[in-house]
Amino acid sequence: MIEMQDVWKEYGNGVAALSGISVQIKQGDFVFVVGPSGAGKSTFIKLMYREERPTKGHIFVGGFNIEKLRERQIPIMRRHIGAVFQDYKLLPKLTVAENIAFALEVIEASRRMINRRVAEVLELVGLSDKGKMFPRELSGGEQQRIGVARALVNKPSVIIADEPTGNLDPENSWAILKLFERVNDQGTTIVMATHNRELVNACKKRVIAIENGQIVRDQERGEYGYED
Amino acid sequence: MKIRTMGRHTREGFKNLFRNGWMTFASVSAVSVTLLILGIAIILSLNIQNLSVNVENQLQINAYVADSVPASSLPALKQSLQALPGVLTVKFVSKEQALQTMRKQLQQNADLLNGLGNPLPNEFVVQAIDPNQTVAVAHEVKSTTGIQSVQYGQDFINKFLTVITAVRDAAIVFIIVLLVMGIFLISNTIKVTIFTRRREIEIMKLVGATDGFIRGPFFIEGTLMGVLGALIPGFILYELYRWLVSSVTPFPPFSFLSTSFVIDRTLTILILCGIFMGIWGSLVSVRRFLRV
Repeated sequence: MIEMQDVWKEYGNGVAALSGISVQIKQGDFVFVVGPSGAGKSTFIKLMYREERPTKGHIFVGGFNIEKLRERQIPIMRRHIGAVFQDYKLLPKLTVAENIAFALEVIEASRRMINRRVAEVLELVGLSDKGKMFPRELSGGEQQRIGVARALVNKPSVIIADEPTGNLDPENSWAILKLFERVNDQGTTIVMATHNRELVNACKKRVIAIENGQIVRDQERGEYGYED
Repeated sequence: MKIRTMGRHTREGFKNLFRNGWMTFASVSAVSVTLLILGIAIILSLNIQNLSVNVENQLQINAYVADSVPASSLPALKQSLQALPGVLTVKFVSKEQALQTMRKQLQQNADLLNGLGNPLPNEFVVQAIDPNQTVAVAHEVKSTTGIQSVQYGQDFINKFLTVITAVRDAAIVFIIVLLVMGIFLISNTIKVTIFTRRREIEIMKLVGATDGFIRGPFFIEGTLMGVLGALIPGFILYELYRWLVSSVTPFPPFSFLSTSFVIDRTLTILILCGIFMGIWGSLVSVRRFLRV
């Protein structure tokens, strides 16, 4: 599903974010990516949906060879990935339903299909009654659930989430995690970078720890392992 | 691209016009001002062109008959003029006809002529076969017995044509400068609009929108702004020109082109320029923000 082979990433200012990462994530895996701030977690995530390019190494995501991807193919690749962000990245001027529909409009889906899928994912995240509201009228937890709904609407084979619970209280963080578990149960791969120790320790999923741009730990049913 | 998507882009393009009301206003104003000046330049140059055509058509020799020549010998005189080499036509204009024409030209001021009697001489209007030979023919005409004096306005025409050419060249340069300035203004205003929508574009890219898809609404929006920016000055110019034609009496060889002719031409050019400026401005500005 996702494979990195000796991936290096140096930014223009000479800072090495990742130094020789190799990792394999299988279809249906649920993976936490942990590590101190600035360790390279975000870069690791960004490489997967080609917001950044590797300086060296090979990356494969769902059959796409990321480093050989042409500019034109990037959008096509991204449609197979659902991305969830710490700041939700919802469009403030669109309603909740429109925000979700947006991800289907770009692939030129039919109106009927859009309406059906939007209703389905709204129900999945438990916000069927909020479709006509605007993001600012929702709580942070609800907004993030909309973010997850948008990520799911395309039926992606993998969800990549960068600190999705970073701005949420414990209760809402749990709600998001439960959502991810449900989606994962249906076979969708989940890669989630997080600082949330409670979640990681309670879930007993695979944990990949990144420090100084290298993988220092990769365990099945792992622990968070940091004191922050 | 599917029709559905075109529909979406059009809807979005229209919505964006209203959502970014102030920026739309700024952009449309910039286009309007530019195109208003461009429109004035076009109307001027159309009329100047018309003027030069009028003048060239009037490249004729007015041969004034001496008062001493009796009316009975006028046909013979006409024949001898007609026999001169290089003469195309000779037309007789009597003193009375000349006076009437002058009255017409003076219109409401025709009263000035009252009490003067008829100071105008009989006249032959001679047209040369080749307009460039007008001077030579005029000399021949002048040396014919019975002709007191000739007028052929060659000096005036030469000077006039020089001035017209200079004005036209200056106008072309001026118009090009205006267009470049206008495009700069529009792309700048649209750039500001897009800057505030950077996040929107970023999200579109992250959910897998192609560049073409993202450009769609901006393309429509640019076109609409261009058309709006052309219609406003088009309307202003129409009203102004109509007012000008109805309230100013031109004197020959000057005459106004008809309002409909001028506005048709001008509006077509303005709309094309507006669309060009709008699309060009929006596409140039959106390009920078597509690299996510």
